[in-house]
Amino acid sequence: MKMRKFVALAAVASMLIGSLAGCSGATNESSAGGAVGDDAIQNLIAATEGTVSLTVWASEEDQAYTQGLIDEFIALYPDVTFDIQLGSESESTCKDTVLTDIEAAADVFTFADDQIQALVDAGALQPVSAYYTYDVANENAAGAVEAATVNGQLYAYPMTADNGYFMFYDSSIYTEEDVQSLDSMIAAAQASGTKIGMDLSSGWYLYSFFAGAGLTLGLNEDGTTNTCTWNDAGGTDVAQAIIDYFGTGVLVNMTDDEQATAIANGEISACVNGTWRAETAQAAWGDNYAAAKLPTYNLNGTETQMSSFSGCKLVGVNAYSDQIGWSMLLAEYLTNEAAQIGRFNARGLGPSNIAAANSPEVQANPAIAALAAQADYATPQRVGGNYWAPSQTLGEILASGNPDGTDLQTLLDTAVEGIEAPVV
Amino acid sequence: MASNKEVHAKTFGKAFVNFFKGIANYFTDFGKAISKGDLAVKLSTVLMGAGYFARKKFVVGFLTMLLEAAFIFMCIFYAAPNLAKFGTLGDTVRSTQFDPLTMQNTVIEGDNSFLILLNSVIALFAIFVFILLWIHNIKRAYELQQDSEKGVHIATFAEDFKSLVNGRFNITLLALPTLGVILMNVIPILILIAIAFTNYDQMHMPPSALFTWVGLANFKNILSLSSGSSAFGYAFFKVLGWTLVWAFFSTFTCFLGGIVLAKLITYRKVKFPKIWRTLFVVTIAVPQFVTLLLVRYFFGDTGIVNSFCTGIGLTEFLKSIGLVANHLSYIPFLTNPGWAKFMIIMINIWVGVPYQMLIATGVLLNIPESQIESAKLDGANAWQIFWHITMPYVLFVEGPTLITDFVRNINNFNVIYLLTQDTFVTTNQTLANANAKEVDLLVTWLFRLTNDYYNYKMASVIGIIVFVICAVFSLIAFSKFLSGGREESYQ
Amino acid sequence: MENAISKHDNYEQKELKLRSKKKSETATTIIINALIAIFALIWIIPIVWLLVTAFSKYRGIDTAHFFPAQGWTLDNFKIVLFEPDSVVQYIAWFKNTFIIALFSCIISTAFVLMVSYTFSCMRFKGRHAMMKFSIILNMFPGVLSMIAVYFVMKQLGLTNSHVGMVIVYSAGSGLGYLICKGFMDTIPTSIREAARLDGASEVEIFFKIILPLSKPIIVYTVISSFLAPWADFVFAKLMLNSGISTDWTVAIGLYNMLGKDLKSHYFSIFCAGGLLISIPISVLFILMQKYYVAGVTGGASKG
Repeated sequence: MKMRKFVALAAVASMLIGSLAGCSGATNESSAGGAVGDDAIQNLIAATEGTVSLTVWASEEDQAYTQGLIDEFIALYPDVTFDIQLGSESESTCKDTVLTDIEAAADVFTFADDQIQALVDAGALQPVSAYYTYDVANENAAGAVEAATVNGQLYAYPMTADNGYFMFYDSSIYTEEDVQSLDSMIAAAQASGTKIGMDLSSGWYLYSFFAGAGLTLGLNEDGTTNTCTWNDAGGTDVAQAIIDYFGTGVLVNMTDDEQATAIANGEISACVNGTWRAETAQAAWGDNYAAAKLPTYNLNGTETQMSSFSGCKLVGVNAYSDQIGWSMLLAEYLTNEAAQIGRFNARGLGPSNIAAANSPEVQANPAIAALAAQADYATPQRVGGNYWAPSQTLGEILASGNPDGTDLQTLLDTAVEGIEAPVV
Repeated sequence: MASNKEVHAKTFGKAFVNFFKGIANYFTDFGKAISKGDLAVKLSTVLMGAGYFARKKFVVGFLTMLLEAAFIFMCIFYAAPNLAKFGTLGDTVRSTQFDPLTMQNTVIEGDNSFLILLNSVIALFAIFVFILLWIHNIKRAYELQQDSEKGVHIATFAEDFKSLVNGRFNITLLALPTLGVILMNVIPILILIAIAFTNYDQMHMPPSALFTWVGLANFKNILSLSSGSSAFGYAFFKVLGWTLVWAFFSTFTCFLGGIVLAKLITYRKVKFPKIWRTLFVVTIAVPQFVTLLLVRYFFGDTGIVNSFCTGIGLTEFLKSIGLVANHLSYIPFLTNPGWAKFMIIMINIWVGVPYQMLIATGVLLNIPESQIESAKLDGANAWQIFWHITMPYVLFVEGPTLITDFVRNINNFNVIYLLTQDTFVTTNQTLANANAKEVDLLVTWLFRLTNDYYNYKMASVIGIIVFVICAVFSLIAFSKFLSGGREESYQ
Repeated sequence: MENAISKHDNYEQKELKLRSKKKSETATTIIINALIAIFALIWIIPIVWLLVTAFSKYRGIDTAHFFPAQGWTLDNFKIVLFEPDSVVQYIAWFKNTFIIALFSCIISTAFVLMVSYTFSCMRFKGRHAMMKFSIILNMFPGVLSMIAVYFVMKQLGLTNSHVGMVIVYSAGSGLGYLICKGFMDTIPTSIREAARLDGASEVEIFFKIILPLSKPIIVYTVISSFLAPWADFVFAKLMLNSGISTDWTVAIGLYNMLGKDLKSHYFSIFCAGGLLISIPISVLFILMQKYYVAGVTGGASKG
C-alpha cells in the first residue's frame, strides 16, 4: 500500500498556534482539514517502545473483514510489535457500552453516526485534528463528513454511507411508475393481495413524513436538547395522512425483523428499510428484487416527497486510549478507499469514500443507487436523546389509528413537549 | 405451638426500645472503660494494643498496633486525598492537547467525581469500622485490667487462637462472608444512596465531566405530583402502582396455581404422576432468558399465536366484542398496555406455577392425615376440607415464603424486561417523557434509566425507594419467619 | 385405625353411597386427567417450539409456522458445537461458564453453610440484629447497585476477568442463608449438646456432625449456586465488556444472538444453544427438586 503524502504546513502551523494558545482539541476548529505526512509517522515509530496493545470493536458481521484489515495494518509496520485484539460490539449499541466505562472501551470502535453527539458530550472521542495517510475530510462524501463533525470539529472517520433508508420492492408487483407515489404503491399492493411494511414505531422512520412536509427537527446549540416544529401549522395534516395510510391496512407497521419474516413468507411485497435488509429481499424476490427512493405521499391533495435520515457508520478513536497515534493510524486504515471498496465487495456496504462510491460495481448495486437517489431528500441524523422515546410513542399512536381519539393537535403538542424537554 | 406467644410478645416497639437501650449501654460501657481504666487502658486510646501489652498479650498487642499503623497509613495515602475532595466531588476537568507531529496527547489529568465518591465511601466505611474496633480495643483493655485485678486467668495467644474454632467460632465463620457482603452489597448500596444526592447524569458523566452534590433536588423531582416538564413524579406513581399490583397478582396467582396443580397431580387416580410432574419441572429448568425471549416472539404481533388466532377467527371475535381495537389485524398481546399486563401475569403463571407446584406437593404430603380423616368423618366434602384444612395449613407453612416471594416479585427484573424490552412501546406521552412504560416495574425503569439514559441520579432515588419498600415487607416476613419461637420449636 | 369399627357398623349404608359415588368419581377422574393433560400441553408448547426451531433450516424467526416450514436440519447444532465464528463461540462460553460456575459454587456453598451454621447453631450477641440486617440486604436486588459494583470491581482490577465474575456471583452469597438455616434448625439440639459434653469443639461439631446431617441441603445449595451463572446476563454483560466474544458466558453469548442486527440470522442457532444448556440444567434441576422442596418447606414439614 503506497502511502500518500500530504504535508500541509499551514495546517500544522495553525495547529501549533492553537496548541500554544492552549486551546483544547475539542474547540480547536482551525485544525480540521489538516494533514501531516510521513514525518509524524516516523516520529511515532521512533517513539514507540515495546508492544503496542490495541483493542478494536467492530460489529459481529464485520469481524472477518476487519480482522483482515488489521492483519494488513500490522504488516505495514514491520518494525513495530502489535497486539491488536478484535472484539465484537454492535454498531447500533456501541455508545451504550462505551459510555458505561469509557476507560475500559476499545481504542478504536465503530458506531452509527446518531451516537456521535452523545459520545462527544461524554468526551469519549479523540478529535480528528490531523490525518496522516489520506485526507479524511475531502475524500469522503460531504454528508458523511458532516455526520462525523460536531461543532465544526471532525471527530470520527466515515466508514460507510449507507445507514439510511429507502424503499425495497418486488418489481413483479410494482412498476417503476408505481413506486413514485405511495398511493399507487398501495393500489398495486392491494391488487396483488400483499402489503407494504414500515416501522412507524420508531422515530427514525416516522421522521420521513414530517420532514417531507417541511416540518423540522433539529439539535440545539447545547448539543443535547431538540427543537421540533411538528406541532406547527400543517402538523395535524401530516398526522392525519399517516393515520389514513396506516388505516388502509395495506401500509402496515412492523418492526425490522417482522419485515424480514414477512418478506420471506410473501406477506409484504415492499418495505421501507435499509441496506441491511437487501440480502433478505434479494433472497425472497430474486430477479424481481428492486429498490427506489422513498415515494411521495398525499398531504392534503399535494404529492409530498418523503424525507429520510441519512446515516453513516463511523470509526472513532477513544480519547482515553494510551496509544492515540497508532489508534488514529489504524482508524484511517480501516476507512481508506481500498478498505471501503473491499468492504463493499465483502459485505455490500455502501462506501462513504467518494472514489469508492463512484466505482462501477458500487454504482450497479440497486440498494446503493436507491440510497443515492434518496440522498437528495435526506438529512443527517442529528438529534438529542429525548427525541426517541416520545417519537416512538407518537408513531405507535398514529400507526394504530389514534385509538384514544385524542385531538391531533394535543397529541403533537405533548410529543413535541417530550422531544424538546430538557435532559434531566 | 407454645412458642407463638413469644413471637407476639416481641413487638416492634419493644425491639425499637431495646435497640436504643443497646446503643446507650454500648457508650456507657465505653465511658466507664475510659474513666476507670488504668494507664494502660488510657494509653490504648492513642496507642492501640497498649492494654494488651500491659497484660503480657504481646502477639495480640502487636497485631493491634499493626492494625493501627495500617489504618494511619490508609488515612494518609487513601482516605485523606479522596475525602479532601468529597465536599465538591472534584473541580478539575480533564483536558488534552494533541500534538500532530508526535501524534501524542498531552493530558492534564482531571478529577473523577465517581471515583472520589467511591473511594470516599470506602474510606468512610473503613474509618467507621476502625472506630468500632478502637472502642472495642479500649473496652477489651479495661476488661483485661479487671480480670487481672480479680486474678482471673488471662488467655494466652494460643488459647485466644483456639477459641476461634470453638467459643468464638462464629467470628471465624462469619469473617469471610461478611467481607464479601461488605464488598458486594454494603459498599455499592452506600454509593447508590450517595448518588441520589448528586447530579450524576448524562450531562455530568465522569471521567470527562464532573458531578456534584445537589441535596434533595432529585427526591423533590420524583415525589412532586405535578407532571412538570420532567414528568418523573407522574411516572413514578404510575409505575409504583403497577409494581404493587403486579407483585400482588404474580405472587398469588402462582401460589394458588401451584396448589391447584399439585392437588390435581396428587389426586390418587391420576396416572403417572411422576411423569407429569417432571414435565412441568422441565419447563422451569430451561433458563428463563431462553424461554421468556422465546415466548416474547411466540406472542409477537406477527407471531405464531397471532397467525393461529387469525386463522381460527379469534382475532375477529375479540374485535367484535371490543377487546381488540378495530384497526388492528392482530391481537396486541405484548404491545397494548392492558393486554401486555394481562399477558405478563399469565406468562408469569407459566413460569412460576411449576415452582410453587413443587413446594405445594411437598407441603401437601405433610398435612396431618388425622385432621383430614376426622373432618371426613364429620361429613365434610372435598371443598370444605380444601378450604378449612388444607389451605390454612399451607398458608401457615408457606406464609413467610409468600411474603418473600412478594418482595422478589417487586424486583422481578427478568420477566418484565425480557418480555417487553425492545417490543413494547408506550402510548402515554407523559410516561414516555420520563423514559418509563406502562408495563415497567420500578426496577426495570431504573435499569433503563441507567443503561440507556445514564440517569444515575434518578435511578438511585428509585433504588432507595425500592429498597425502603422491600425492607418494610421483609421485616414483616422476618418477624414471622425468624423470630424466636419458630426457629427453636423443632430443636 | 379406631375408625374401623364405626366403618364396619355403617357398612350397608356405605355400600349404597359408594355406588353413586363411583359414578361421580369416574367423572372426576376423567376431568382431572383431562385437565392435567391440557395444562401439560400449555406448559410444554414453548419448549416444543424451542426444540423444533433448533432443528429448523430457516435461521430467522419464523412467525408463521410452528414447525419448520423450510425443512429440518442438524446444521444449527453443528455450528454451535463445531463451527465457531465471531458470534457463536459456544464451546468457549460453555467452558467459561463452567469454570465460573464451579468456583462460585464452591465459595457460595461454603459461605452459605458457614453463615447458616453460625446463625442456626451458635448463640452470640447481635445474632438477631445480624440476621435481620442480612435479610434486608438480601432483598436488595443486584440490578440496583450494578454500576457501583462494576466500579468497585474495576478499582480492584477485576473487570473482564473470570475471577471478578466468581466474586460477583459468590461474595454476597452469605446473605442467602435462610433456606439452609431453616434446614439446620430442624437438626435436634440434643445431638450438638451431647457432642459438646463429649468435649467436641464447635469446629468439630460443624464438620463432623452438622455437615453430614445437612447433606440434602448441601446438595440443594451446590446445585442452585452452580446454576446461577448460567442464567445471568445482566451482570455478565456489564462485567465482561471487552467485546472479545471468547471471554463471554453462555448467557451473554446467547442473549447477544438476539441483538437487533443478528437475530434474523441466528434465531435457530440461539434455540439450539439454549436447548443444549437446558439439558444438563434440567437434569441437575430434576435431581435437585426434592431437596428444594425440603429446603423451602424447611422444618415446618416436620411440625
